[in-house]
Amino acid sequence: MSNAMGWKVGLILAVIAFSLVMFYPPGEKINLGLDLKGGMHLVFRVESDEAILMQTNNNVVRLKSLLKESSIKFDRVVRQGGNKIDITGTVFEEEEKIKDILDDYFGDWDYLFSSAGVALSLRPNIEMQLKEQTVNQALETIRNRVDEFGVAAPVFQRQGSNRLLIELPGISDKEKQRVMGLIRSTAMLEFKKVINEGPFASEAEALKQYNGVLPDDLVILKWGSKSKRFAGKYSVLQAANAITGNDFKNAKRSTDGYGGPQVSFSLNSSGASKFKAFTAANVGQKLAIVLDRKIITDPVIESVLSYDSVITGQFTMEEAEDLSLKLRSGALPAPLKPLHEQIIGPSLGADSIRKGIYACAIGLLAVMLFMLLYYRAAGINAIIALILNIVILMGVLAYFKATLTLPGIAGIILTIGMAVDANVLVFERIKEELKTGKSPKSAIDAGFKKAFVTIIDANLTTIIAAIFLFQFGTSTIKGFSVTLMIGIVASMFTAVFVSRVIFDLIYVQRKKLKKISI
Amino acid sequence: MKIFEKEPNLQFMNKRNYAFFLSGLIIAIGVFIFFNHGFNLGIDFTGGTNIEVSFRKDVSEDELRISLREVGLAKSMIQRIGESENKFFIKTVKTLEMKASGEGTNEGTENESGEGEVGGGVSKLIEKALMSNEERERSANKMDLNNVSQPEIAGLLVSKGVPRDTAEETAAKLITFKSRSDNSTLGLIGSFGEIEQLDLKKQALSVLKENTYLGSFTFLSTETVGPQVGHDLRQKATLATVWAMIGMLIYIGFRFKFVFGFAAVITLLHDVLVSLTFIVIFQVEVSLHVVAAILTIVGYSLNDTIVIFDRVRDNIKLMRGHGAGEILDRSINQTLSRTIVTSGTTLVVVFSLFFFGGEVIHSFSFTLLVGVIIGTYSSIFQSCAWLKIWERKAIGRKKK
Repeated sequence: MSNAMGWKVGLILAVIAFSLVMFYPPGEKINLGLDLKGGMHLVFRVESDEAILMQTNNNVVRLKSLLKESSIKFDRVVRQGGNKIDITGTVFEEEEKIKDILDDYFGDWDYLFSSAGVALSLRPNIEMQLKEQTVNQALETIRNRVDEFGVAAPVFQRQGSNRLLIELPGISDKEKQRVMGLIRSTAMLEFKKVINEGPFASEAEALKQYNGVLPDDLVILKWGSKSKRFAGKYSVLQAANAITGNDFKNAKRSTDGYGGPQVSFSLNSSGASKFKAFTAANVGQKLAIVLDRKIITDPVIESVLSYDSVITGQFTMEEAEDLSLKLRSGALPAPLKPLHEQIIGPSLGADSIRKGIYACAIGLLAVMLFMLLYYRAAGINAIIALILNIVILMGVLAYFKATLTLPGIAGIILTIGMAVDANVLVFERIKEELKTGKSPKSAIDAGFKKAFVTIIDANLTTIIAAIFLFQFGTSTIKGFSVTLMIGIVASMFTAVFVSRVIFDLIYVQRKKLKKISI
Repeated sequence: MKIFEKEPNLQFMNKRNYAFFLSGLIIAIGVFIFFNHGFNLGIDFTGGTNIEVSFRKDVSEDELRISLREVGLAKSMIQRIGESENKFFIKTVKTLEMKASGEGTNEGTENESGEGEVGGGVSKLIEKALMSNEERERSANKMDLNNVSQPEIAGLLVSKGVPRDTAEETAAKLITFKSRSDNSTLGLIGSFGEIEQLDLKKQALSVLKENTYLGSFTFLSTETVGPQVGHDLRQKATLATVWAMIGMLIYIGFRFKFVFGFAAVITLLHDVLVSLTFIVIFQVEVSLHVVAAILTIVGYSLNDTIVIFDRVRDNIKLMRGHGAGEILDRSINQTLSRTIVTSGTTLVVVFSLFFFGGEVIHSFSFTLLVGVIIGTYSSIFQSCAWLKIWERKAIGRKKK
């Protein structure tokens, strides 16, 4: 064998070896998509506008107390939309004092003084930054929550500016409700002093106590449906929070004296001092514990509390467990709106794999049979190239840890059909050259040369289409376009390079080649 | 083996009007049906929920519909999966507002625009509808063996005193059994008798019999798409197809003359339209898979066309003195055997996919099947026909 032959054969063998090592054993090395493994696929939109709105609300409260502390005159501080605040009723003389406060504490806001008052608006780049942060933080929070739940190989990804993709393989039916709850719950915990417990049958009734106008520093909230006493009723609470979930250092499920589940928590140091101050000033008053804007319980503050305490509230074991988990991982900075949810059971996944492999095998056999019948001995050449094609395809898939989905298996099957294409182009060309009277050797030469350009042209269009597919498709479709592209490239390699080498190997010995079996 | 002993000499150019007429007719039928029935759009495009249910016993569509009516889902589309007696697709387009009970689980914000919680809500409703009262009671105390994961089964066994490795082995056997190839009750265990056949340890078996029951159904898969996503997808799908075709136009314009690009793109358009016609005639559910198949056809159908154009390009040089019609005819005839063989092999695999690939990708394989056949037909009968129309630009000879 000549040198040129040598390195060519060497290269082919190296590629084969590499591929085999990469994807064997297939059970472990090939990354299966959800539609084959079974599991949950979720896409959420992070409502970061909501987060900005909530923060602005908090800022309104802060601003009011700052102005009051400095005895600055004003009528009202009102939020306008998500990112503007209006202060009305200010006096010209105090403008400098107001400016000082704004510069010190509201550096993220632009302000404009006018005869009506002061208009603050959140700086656009800050707003964008906050939205970014919100999405990232949402992703992190979900990751923490799901991590505790213990899912194998979960996927957490950002998609675009405000979408999150979460994939949880192997979740069972029963678990999925719990997981959804875990992920979507904002878990915003607030502790507010009870001003007027009521309970009131409706918000309107509660308002009557204040002649229809609720003072700025109060808020009317509904009781959650689990409360035995006040489900669905309303109470009036102080708007400002004594402490929130953000002040928590840890939370865990425990049992009360009667064996009922509860959540015991401990606060961080700033939270503890806030709590101490609050409870000291309010012994004997009721403290409402509000979760996601619904009141769950309002125990009486019996003594001064600081670091440790408990939340009781008719929890089941699971609910207490989940709540502590959510509190540990932190509140979601913004609500999540579900856009797409897909759950594939493992039985269906296994069934799909079976069917896919079966169809693949049949397709492969049929094509091999056909090639043998039609091209006779040269057909063997094509079959070897075809098998090689698949081996390389699987190896590359495993190497890039690309995900194999059911459409992906279809892509492999399609590649089998199209891989032959390149071989056929070459063989038909060789046949033609033979007909024009060329010697077998030069027919082979000419055949490969002329077909090469056509092969590239034809296959390239399919690759272009696959690229568009990749851009636009979901993860299952992406799987299809990836296997298609890899398959086509592999088929070009095998048809042009490997086939040629095989031809050369077989026929190079015979000096006087009269006939080739084609 | 050869398909043709001598190079064929079929007259394609003369017959091109027949080809135009046939295609025009098919597309016209498609348009007609489109205006009368519209496409069978999947939830990828309309939004909504699609659930695949497998029942332990045979169920009739009517029974199913009655149960669904009780929870307000009477308008759902129910479809038997394949030929089975007990597997169904349930599709609802309505997105229901359903707040989960209890605090701190799924409360949304006050800003929800009437869409509420999509997936969880609907599949829970359907679950409620399909469970009989006694089953509901049972599920409070016992584990539903047809709706649990492997670790849950193992966990139950261990908690009742079964040694851990026996527990794991038993759980694994059960899960494998559920996805066995005897497809009639996929995902379910039909009866305890079936479990007894599995050769499980006595202790594990008795724990199972005492503490579990066999649910009457299981969800093989559920999918929920919010309406916004559906709308997005429709846009993206159309854009992707249009851009792909523009991409092809540019590519061929480069490799050949621009006129060739136009002829190719028209042929492609033809392929897409005729494929869509078949989809609308057979009311195949249009999902993302179908769009993927169409894009694949766009790429693949061009294969044949390019091979022919390649030959035309060669023959223009070789066959000086011949008219455009002759050149085109010759080119097609020369490549005919190759076209048939490659399309043949692709068809063989796509048939295999169609017949054996299963229900999940059925709409995909159907579209692909139609597309490959149409693509071949169009490469032979349409692409050069269009070239002939602009023959002066393409070939630069006088009509002959």
